[in-house]
Amino acid sequence: MFFYLMRRLIGIAIVVLMVLTIAFVIVRLAPGDPAALMLGPDATPEDAVALRERLGLNRPILVQYLSFVANAVRGDLGTSIFFNQPVTQVLLARAEPTIFLALFSLLMALAIATPIGIYAAYRRGSALDQTAISVAMLAASIPSFWTGLMFQRYLATDLGWFPAAGYGGPDADFLERMRHLILPSIVLGIVNSALILRFTRASMLDILGEDYVRTARSKGMGEPRVVLRHALKNAGIPIITVVGLTFALLVSGAVVTERVFNIPGMGNLVVSAVLRRDYPVIQGTLIVVATLYVLINLITDLLYLIIDKRVRY
Amino acid sequence: MVHGFMRLPLVGALLIGTAFAAPAHAEVINVAIVGEPSTLDPMISTQDVVSIVTQHFVETLYTFDSAWNIVPLLATSMPEISEDGLVYRIELREGITFHDGTGMDSADAVASLNRWLDVSSRGGSIADKVAEIVATGDYGIEIRMNEAYSPLLSLLAFSNSAAVIYPEEIIGDTIESVVGTGPYQLVEHLPDQYIQLARFDDFVPRSEPADGGSGARAQVPDEVRFLPVPDPNTRVEGLLSGQYDFADALPTEAYDRINSSENVEPMLLEPFGWPVFAINHKAGLLTDLNIRLALQAALPIDDMLFAAFGDEKFFVVDGPQFPEGWSWRNEAGIEYFNENDPEKARALLDEAGYDGTPLRILTSRQYEFHFKMAEVANVALQAAGFNVQLDVVDWATLGERRDDPALWDVYITHSTFLPEPALTSLFPADSRLGWADPEKEEILTAFTTETDLATRQALFADLQRRTFEDVGFIKIGGFNALMGHKANLSGVDPSPWPYFWGASLD
Repeated sequence: MFFYLMRRLIGIAIVVLMVLTIAFVIVRLAPGDPAALMLGPDATPEDAVALRERLGLNRPILVQYLSFVANAVRGDLGTSIFFNQPVTQVLLARAEPTIFLALFSLLMALAIATPIGIYAAYRRGSALDQTAISVAMLAASIPSFWTGLMFQRYLATDLGWFPAAGYGGPDADFLERMRHLILPSIVLGIVNSALILRFTRASMLDILGEDYVRTARSKGMGEPRVVLRHALKNAGIPIITVVGLTFALLVSGAVVTERVFNIPGMGNLVVSAVLRRDYPVIQGTLIVVATLYVLINLITDLLYLIIDKRVRY
Repeated sequence: MVHGFMRLPLVGALLIGTAFAAPAHAEVINVAIVGEPSTLDPMISTQDVVSIVTQHFVETLYTFDSAWNIVPLLATSMPEISEDGLVYRIELREGITFHDGTGMDSADAVASLNRWLDVSSRGGSIADKVAEIVATGDYGIEIRMNEAYSPLLSLLAFSNSAAVIYPEEIIGDTIESVVGTGPYQLVEHLPDQYIQLARFDDFVPRSEPADGGSGARAQVPDEVRFLPVPDPNTRVEGLLSGQYDFADALPTEAYDRINSSENVEPMLLEPFGWPVFAINHKAGLLTDLNIRLALQAALPIDDMLFAAFGDEKFFVVDGPQFPEGWSWRNEAGIEYFNENDPEKARALLDEAGYDGTPLRILTSRQYEFHFKMAEVANVALQAAGFNVQLDVVDWATLGERRDDPALWDVYITHSTFLPEPALTSLFPADSRLGWADPEKEEILTAFTTETDLATRQALFADLQRRTFEDVGFIKIGGFNALMGHKANLSGVDPSPWPYFWGASLD
């Protein structure tokens, strides 16, 4: 177990380093100058040159890369060109909305997908089952921005049930800020429920056909207990896998939804950073996202140990 | 159930609470802006959103009234200008306090203006014309010029790349936290969330009645909050749902929806600005006058504007560089505007010996109207005999490419109508267009050294004619901007840089 963990952690370090390098290179391949953008349309080319020098963008590329890696290892992701603040500070400020949006969206997705998925498997071939599969496909196919726009327009603007955008102002307390996450979570929940629903259904179908389920029934066990206590637990591994991946996806930036609802999370940040060519922020976000992905993967694998006693590392 | 021993403290708390309760009507104005400003130091950026926000907490020596006349703001009155136009003597208002509690005096003004000449784009472009800026007393300064430059006052009045007055103590290459004299001061700034400004109690307004941005700047709202909302449609939804009291830069397609809503009203800024085809005079096809004239002759301005804006509410097919009602407006050279004449263009191309080299038009879909105009122009130019290469890139890439004259022949941009023609960055020979026509240079030098207004207006007519004759750049008509606000919001004037110190929700 210990060696397993060691191997995994080394693997994480290698992945992060690779992502770091790729991020550094790709971002600089795109044309566009952060200095000129910050200075605005009527600035002269000389102003841009002066600002580039002040920001250290004139140093040789290898020097920039090496200093970046050396700092990143120490937890210093550099300074945002646009905000003139440490990148870690910029990212931390966006941690709360990002994490809670991802959590609520995941809960929403689970709330939709799990009961329907289980019941669809239980009543396989029924009208509900057919409907559930079609609706799941529909939910997965409709672009999230369309869903977001429709919900924003009809539920927020027209009906006034939710705030249309933003994360609350200076007066907003924690609850008020969370209230601003409800509508975007519903949107993301719907979009992400499809995959979980299909996986839950497929996994449950497998398990419900197993011998030990038939045995449990013939022992006189009640249906709810058979389905929920025995079958679901054994169906757990694929479901946990897809839930973990969905959470990682959500945390890494619900880019479009955050943009539409103007949530100051990491997704919105990364879009703005790309448009502004804020290299340190783009790199920093990519690193954080990659690290989160591999960590969540690790946690998911460790969860298998709890769910399925047969698993050994 | 509240136990007996808890009752007294609870009642006490309630009483204390009401005694210190916030005033019943603490007015906050929420303004949705196009995005996070790159800085809160208006000297170092020419972004319009920076001007909009910062004009509330920093001030310049002069400003513009509703008719774009220059009037004093932190200066007591208009400057005393020497006969030869080389010395400007400016008296500063006394008793003005900065947000940090210190008083404003000539040392602050001199340090600020020198920094402006050093770090700002507009200041830097005239720095070689300024010999020195000195204090002549506690509240007097003198700007001594090497050569006469009549647009100087406009530069000192402009809120963009602004010559604002900071306390001497905070002056440096970069200013960590900006301190000004304005009617509102910065309370809290959460990037990408809000910029919160509160009334500055020690603000000293001017005594003249308010006229546009000039005169007494009332401090009606308790707080003004700027909310960066990069997505234009989200600004519309937030406005319609009542979250924003004012929303800037809305897509014109939203006009009908805003107009038909009871709670909000559209605000059209007519006119807001002008799209422009910037011409590369340094290298490439358009260094040949005949090819430039062919381009100008072939462009169907009315079709381009219609494609870009869709509804006549939002554009005007207007050739003169300034709109109706502006003192700079004239009709010189207007016969060259919107000729829409492919035959003439073809003849000019033949005369130039055009060999089919593609005309490279650089544009971006960041401003969808630029792109639509480019598409229409493309078709018309091809019909006139041009080969055209449309380079559509994102704005960041365009910003970089347009600094390299080897990469483009035309790039598309737009400008607001500026109160002083010399502020347009397209005219000088050292701009990225590189328009160095000798006749234009002569007119431009005369224009910027002449101090008499009537003579300047005549010179500007010559400048406009020369722009058409030599095709310095091509103005594509004019367009209006759509903003929106709550129906019960009053006290906000339509402006490219709207200000909210007089705003109230009735």
